[in-house]
Amino acid sequence: MNLKKCLSIFTILFAVIIALAILSLFTQSGSKGITDYLFNEEIQYSLMLSLLTGCISTTLVIITAIPIAYFFARYLIPGQKIIKTILFLPMAFPEIVLGLCLLLLFGHPLVKEWLSVFGIEITFSKTGIVVAQFFTALPYAISTITTVFSEIDLQQELVSRSLGYSQLNTIRHITLPLAKKGIAAATTIVFARCVGAFGSVLILAGGSRMNAETLPISLYLNLSYGNMDMAITSGLMLVIIAFAGLFIIEIIEGNIGHSITDKNPDTRWNV
Amino acid sequence: MPNEKANLTFRSGVLIAVAVIVIGIFLYVKISSSSTNKKTELLILSGAGLIKPMEEIAKEFANKNNVIINVKYGGSGELMGQLSLGQAGDIFIPGAEKYVYDADKNGWIKKHTITKLVKHIPVIAIPYDNPKNINNINDLGSEGISLALGDENACAIGKISKKIIKKSWVKEQIKTNTKVYAPTVNQLLMYVVMKQVDATIIWKDMLTWAESHQSLKSIEIDPSLNIIKTIAAGVTTYSKHQKLSEQMVDFMKSPEGLKIWEKWGFEP
Repeated sequence: MNLKKCLSIFTILFAVIIALAILSLFTQSGSKGITDYLFNEEIQYSLMLSLLTGCISTTLVIITAIPIAYFFARYLIPGQKIIKTILFLPMAFPEIVLGLCLLLLFGHPLVKEWLSVFGIEITFSKTGIVVAQFFTALPYAISTITTVFSEIDLQQELVSRSLGYSQLNTIRHITLPLAKKGIAAATTIVFARCVGAFGSVLILAGGSRMNAETLPISLYLNLSYGNMDMAITSGLMLVIIAFAGLFIIEIIEGNIGHSITDKNPDTRWNV
Repeated sequence: MPNEKANLTFRSGVLIAVAVIVIGIFLYVKISSSSTNKKTELLILSGAGLIKPMEEIAKEFANKNNVIINVKYGGSGELMGQLSLGQAGDIFIPGAEKYVYDADKNGWIKKHTITKLVKHIPVIAIPYDNPKNINNINDLGSEGISLALGDENACAIGKISKKIIKKSWVKEQIKTNTKVYAPTVNQLLMYVVMKQVDATIIWKDMLTWAESHQSLKSIEIDPSLNIIKTIAAGVTTYSKHQKLSEQMVDFMKSPEGLKIWEKWGFEP
């Protein structure tokens, strides 16, 4: 057996294991259960809430991540590594810890009082869901978009500057259009990450039924009632959203013949 | 030479990867060998609120009988879900006895093994210094009080606190004051300790540790309103170690077992 065959089998093996694990979620309950709950009020509520909060937090994350990522890709200041590490930290520790940290910060009497002046209430509210999702997904966005910017040839920006474009205009007319597809892919990842955020949302927003009940919370709540069918329905929705997201990325990247996994066709053995 | 440097990085990377794998295999073998000495194993499905006494009881019983006791903790509803799937488990001991009888009705528990053990008492939990001056359940309805209550379906205390509040004449105000209905009891405790809310209704035994460390205080609920639950255990119908499981349930009820329950705030 040659290496190509070995590696194909190895790769397919793991794809099959994951496919089986996901399929077993659906075979666990009767298929009748899922169709019954698909239009259930609680599932509909959590789906709408997930999509709404997911869209808001994704927009905020991308708007925040682009300037930070550009800064990391183009500039160097003393202590940059430390700043980067701090920003990436939430990726490395469990979401529940992030939730606890956010609760301690935004639940602090002083912060609470200050925010309430602007009429903002974060703990146990829908705003809390967005805040939790924002901080859960932000590091992923920064890291992905930084890579996108880093891969853009600095020469093109230099040419633009030498032809008289200001720095901001260069970013607007050269860098961002070049990064468009990468940013679109990052947006999709961030959206899936926001919709899937669980631990941080549970702690900060409280997880009240039909109030702060996003899809992962709905899954957890129903699991704890022992309502497997409804829990699996929420799980199904999350799998569909994730699948749609990843599929969109494949399409976006396929269009320009570039992809994170498929960057350069010349890196392949021609056998 | 940059090439040499890259080579060196690659080599040390491989070295670290190999080291991690070797340590991983070593730990795995060690852990699995320590639990496969052909000892009999029992699995207890326990309510998450019973973790403290259950750990001690399991340890005592395991030492005495030279067996291995594994405990899976979860919300009562969650454990019921597991029973319904017919997954492993020898003894079922949820947060309220109702679930044991429900499980019996479904044929998952051997009726003659059902044993009433201790009382589960709902109380009001407040910060130790009681800044909002809460002294009884009616104070929970006062203006400016914020509350966290359990979700009525997800945890036993949620269902019971709802019933208790229904009997109180400030039920509407309490509803307005409730900022969050949390799915787990741990969240209720956490939100009061972190002063995110002023009070909650929770099992008395859950406050044992916090009270002794002066972070929380419990306030008894008026006996005419309170609903005290019993904790009961039963052996599952599909247990492969019926006799040993029954011995374990008996041990929980023995004077020695009851002493452990009492230590953690459960009254016989």
